Amino acid sequence: MIGGFADPTEGSILLAGHDVTGLPPNKRDVNTVFQSYALFDHLSVADNIAFGLKRRRVEKQELRRRVAEALELVQLAHLATRKPRTLSGGQRQRVALARALVNRPAVLLLDEPLGALDLKLRRQMQIELKQIQREVGITFVFVTHDQDEALTMSDRLAVMNGGVIEHCGTPEDVYERPATRFVASFIGTSNLMPGVYRNGSVVLESGQAVPVGRRAGLAEGAEVSLSIRPEKIWLSELTPGMARATGVLRDTVYCGATTTYLVELAAGTTLAVLEQNTARSRMEDRWSNGQQVELGWLPEHSLVLG
Amino acid sequence: MSATRRPAATARRRRRGVERKPLFAFACTAVFFFLLYLPIGAVALFSFNGQKSLVVMKGFSLRWYRAFFHDQQLLASLRMSLEVSTLATACALVIGVGLALGLVRSRGRVGSYAAFIMLVPLITPEIVTGVGSLTLFKGIGMTLGFGTVTLAEVTFSISYVTVILRSRVAALNPETEEAALDLGATRWQALRLVTLPALLPAIISAGVLVFAMIFDDFVLAFFTTGVSPEPLAVNIYSQIRLGVQPTINAVGTLMLLGSLALIALAIVVPRLFGRTGGLEILTGD
Repeated sequence: MIGGFADPTEGSILLAGHDVTGLPPNKRDVNTVFQSYALFDHLSVADNIAFGLKRRRVEKQELRRRVAEALELVQLAHLATRKPRTLSGGQRQRVALARALVNRPAVLLLDEPLGALDLKLRRQMQIELKQIQREVGITFVFVTHDQDEALTMSDRLAVMNGGVIEHCGTPEDVYERPATRFVASFIGTSNLMPGVYRNGSVVLESGQAVPVGRRAGLAEGAEVSLSIRPEKIWLSELTPGMARATGVLRDTVYCGATTTYLVELAAGTTLAVLEQNTARSRMEDRWSNGQQVELGWLPEHSLVLG
Repeated sequence: MSATRRPAATARRRRRGVERKPLFAFACTAVFFFLLYLPIGAVALFSFNGQKSLVVMKGFSLRWYRAFFHDQQLLASLRMSLEVSTLATACALVIGVGLALGLVRSRGRVGSYAAFIMLVPLITPEIVTGVGSLTLFKGIGMTLGFGTVTLAEVTFSISYVTVILRSRVAALNPETEEAALDLGATRWQALRLVTLPALLPAIISAGVLVFAMIFDDFVLAFFTTGVSPEPLAVNIYSQIRLGVQPTINAVGTLMLLGSLALIALAIVVPRLFGRTGGLEILTGD
């Protein structure tokens, strides 16, 4: 819809203050990096990049200068005369980026641009894209299904579900203070426990009351979800101010830098707990499956979601 | 000794297994090609015959080629066939490419019905189409000749062009055309600058195939042509009724050379534009 290929059923799209809702794609100051790159295979890399400028009848010298600039920006100057088919995935990705950026649009739309790349190249392109974005200063609208990518890439992040924006804010805001249950479970992992809000506590189904402090705007007896991020739960060095729970360690998943513990609380709800495998924590004796453990978290880290 | 022989023995065993050459299949293929090209070879050979005989080869001469180039009637026929083929191929390509684009992109019932109707001419016996065309042209009072033959051939060829192009259009990445629009191209520019170049190899293949089919088509041409000049195939047929002239061998050999040149062109031209193939469809790739 931002690109102009689909019409919204309601509402309007404003671009730099102007309503562009009814405009066709070729009349919008938006350029797109497509998921499949959609390069023109019969044209050379340079001609691909020049396509948009030629449509706008940019004068020849200016055109050559800007194409060269764009090639420089994505570090492909040495491949200018090659055909897209002879390039690698990462290189084609860059051609697609240069082809869109060269037009200096008000907004650059990136539709899952890194989806076809393997993990390593993807990480590299993420960093490069961020650098390029800062260099050119154009607004990038970056669509992705990869939550980590969304967190790393963005200045502002919108989580959409069923066509509705559920939360829009900085990555930190969205991660630390998700607005809804969907956001909490979609971005990162969350331990979600259903319960009822009563007198400054959430009473879980097990009957255990977890103090969460006074929350404005929550009615007494409201059905809520308690959400705690796995890395915010402690298994050792618990301090007096913490909310606590006991459970049985059911499983241990070792992932190199971190270890995830699955702890079953008395009621049958299981919490994931993430611990860094720092020198200090690995030195301690680890827990074994089936063992009784005590968990703790700071009250401000438990979120109450309606 | 035994140490050096063992690898050889393994190699032999392997050869007898998976990697053994399928000699029987090779033989069958060889026989098939021999039988397929035998008559064509005979035509080429006898076109250089010094004698009038179509059975006995005696001496080498170019007399039948000379005879052909002096036969005004045959030359007129050849020219007519070339003109009809060129014009009809061009028309069929324009209509066929348009149809293929339309059929692939139209959603819903009209598209699928139209796609089915497209295939009917492919399975209709040509003689039915021929008689039908004749009746139609006579019925609306058209004079038989160049115009009627061309019209009939166009009608007959559209289906082939569409069938060849349709799979190629369907294989196109729809995002490519969207990308062109996104970069400021109008719909017409997107078609001309992005979609058609992407289809060019398939268009060339379809063109070569259809040109060859029209050029040597006999049935439709026979029913829809006027008296003079007749298309080459019709002309040759009427000559045979009067007794076979070896000139026909010369004509046949020249036509063969023409076809080979055309195929070579279809392979070479796309390569010049930096693309491989062009005849992928004819060769089944």
